[in-house]
Amino acid sequence: MNKTILKNIVHTALILIAAFFAALAIQNLLSAPRLVPAVFVLAVFLISLLTNGYIYGLLSALVSVLAVNFAFTFPFFEFNFTIQENAVSALIMIAVTAITCALTTKIKQHDALKAENEKEKMRANLLRAISHDLRTPLTAIYGSASTIADNYAVLKDEDKINMLIGIKEDSQWLIRMVENLLSVTRFDSPNVKLIKTSVVLEELIDSVLSKFHKRYPHVNVGLQIPKDFIAVSADPILIEQVLINLLENAVIHAKGMTKVNLNVFVLGSKAIFEVKDDGEGIAPEKFKTLFTTFSGASGDGEGKTHSMGIGLSVCATIIKAHNGALSAENCSEGGAVFRFSLDLEEEI
Amino acid sequence: MNNKYKILIVEDEVNISRFLTALLEANGYSVINANTAEKGHLMFTSHHPDLIVLDLGLPDKDGMCLLDEIRETSATPIIVLSARSDESDKVSALDKGANDYVTKPFGSQEFAARVRSILRSNRHSADEGKLPGGKFTSGDITIDYDARKFFVADNEIKLTQTEFNIMALLSEHFGKVLTYSFIAKEIWGYFDTGSIKKLQVNMANIRRKLSLEPGSGRYISNELGVGYRMHSD
Repeated sequence: MNKTILKNIVHTALILIAAFFAALAIQNLLSAPRLVPAVFVLAVFLISLLTNGYIYGLLSALVSVLAVNFAFTFPFFEFNFTIQENAVSALIMIAVTAITCALTTKIKQHDALKAENEKEKMRANLLRAISHDLRTPLTAIYGSASTIADNYAVLKDEDKINMLIGIKEDSQWLIRMVENLLSVTRFDSPNVKLIKTSVVLEELIDSVLSKFHKRYPHVNVGLQIPKDFIAVSADPILIEQVLINLLENAVIHAKGMTKVNLNVFVLGSKAIFEVKDDGEGIAPEKFKTLFTTFSGASGDGEGKTHSMGIGLSVCATIIKAHNGALSAENCSEGGAVFRFSLDLEEEI
Repeated sequence: MNNKYKILIVEDEVNISRFLTALLEANGYSVINANTAEKGHLMFTSHHPDLIVLDLGLPDKDGMCLLDEIRETSATPIIVLSARSDESDKVSALDKGANDYVTKPFGSQEFAARVRSILRSNRHSADEGKLPGGKFTSGDITIDYDARKFFVADNEIKLTQTEFNIMALLSEHFGKVLTYSFIAKEIWGYFDTGSIKKLQVNMANIRRKLSLEPGSGRYISNELGVGYRMHSD
């Protein structure tokens, strides 16, 4: 709050000073005193545009009128309140301020509303996608379980075990989706703040790979990380989830993938994380909606491809909450790469 | 029959306690059930179980309270179950004396492994790993407490005083997650804002000396935001 007030004051002061010197220059060098009020009108307009609320605009209008009166009208460097022209220019400036402020306030309100709508739309999409995506595994779980419970004696052992394995797999998938959704709601509400702690890179990667290997024991992850002791400032559990989602995404969606690489390097005060696969890459038409649609690969309509939508948009949301951005591109040598950066922990 | 380990499950969700019971009985343990904290306390005092599986969300009171009550009089190992995925909950349960913490939902294999590991380390807390003459071994690791030496596959690894103390501490609580604050208090006698960083740097050096690659899952596991655990594979 104080920061915006300070910013407003600085803006106001700077513009007024600039206008004053510009007016001095015009008066003395160009000897065109009629332009002086125009300069101040412009200054007042800019101030109203750049600051919040009416107060700065009105104050600077007042200052401008006094400045014009004091320094730029005869008698110079003396106040003279008998000139009618001054009263008129004061009125004009106040009108400019009032109208500009009203307009900018309206625009700001409109923007906020638009952002809120956008968020609401995203939430609605997410909900729709979830209910759609969750229905499939739930149907399979419910159906298999009730089939076994109701027909236990007549079913062959082999069918029973297969249905049970299906139940196990579908519920594992559900668990991961719920984890994803939980972590998004965790910092979506305004009063929940992201708790950043110092996370040692090695420990983070160790935990990520251990969990990933448990789920996909046959997938080989190539690893390249700095040898030095590096700590990033982040919520470890959320970042772990992002990395696992990205690795999993490569396994599930990169067709023809033989190897996935996890690379981390330091650039300035940032640690850059990269998950790179050697699959078929991302289709160009998907780029635009990669991180925003929750219905994911609605086009191919293949069972579990839906998870990509939720997984990636969750990743993007988490990284955004860390003041970073998740980006994706296709590599020239084939395959896709997902990239994001985190702030390094400051030295103590 | 009588030498089976007795496990008390304190959990109010019927479906969960049913599958835990089936799982544990299939693994050769004898199981008793309680569905409230009060019953749990009663069964604990009358049956003297070897291990308690404690759900934190009980209908009559918070499982944390029962944890406190049990710890007042007994060191019986406790595994806490919780649906809360907050790290601070894990830390406080562990600091209150829980031996391990499992977040719902969890897999049956993972759970059975935790139970096994805790019973093993507890049964042997006097002698598992600790060979005559103040030594500890697990897998490749041997720690000579008296000579203050640390070996991996018979090769001595030169550790600093602090590094050795950390590894000795982890080995004394083999299989259990030790929180950052617990370790810091044991090693340096106090816990402050710099302690975690100091501990992390020491752990990084230990990993380097043992040539532990991230993801190898050997000897020590990192519980992000909580602490460290020494384990066997």
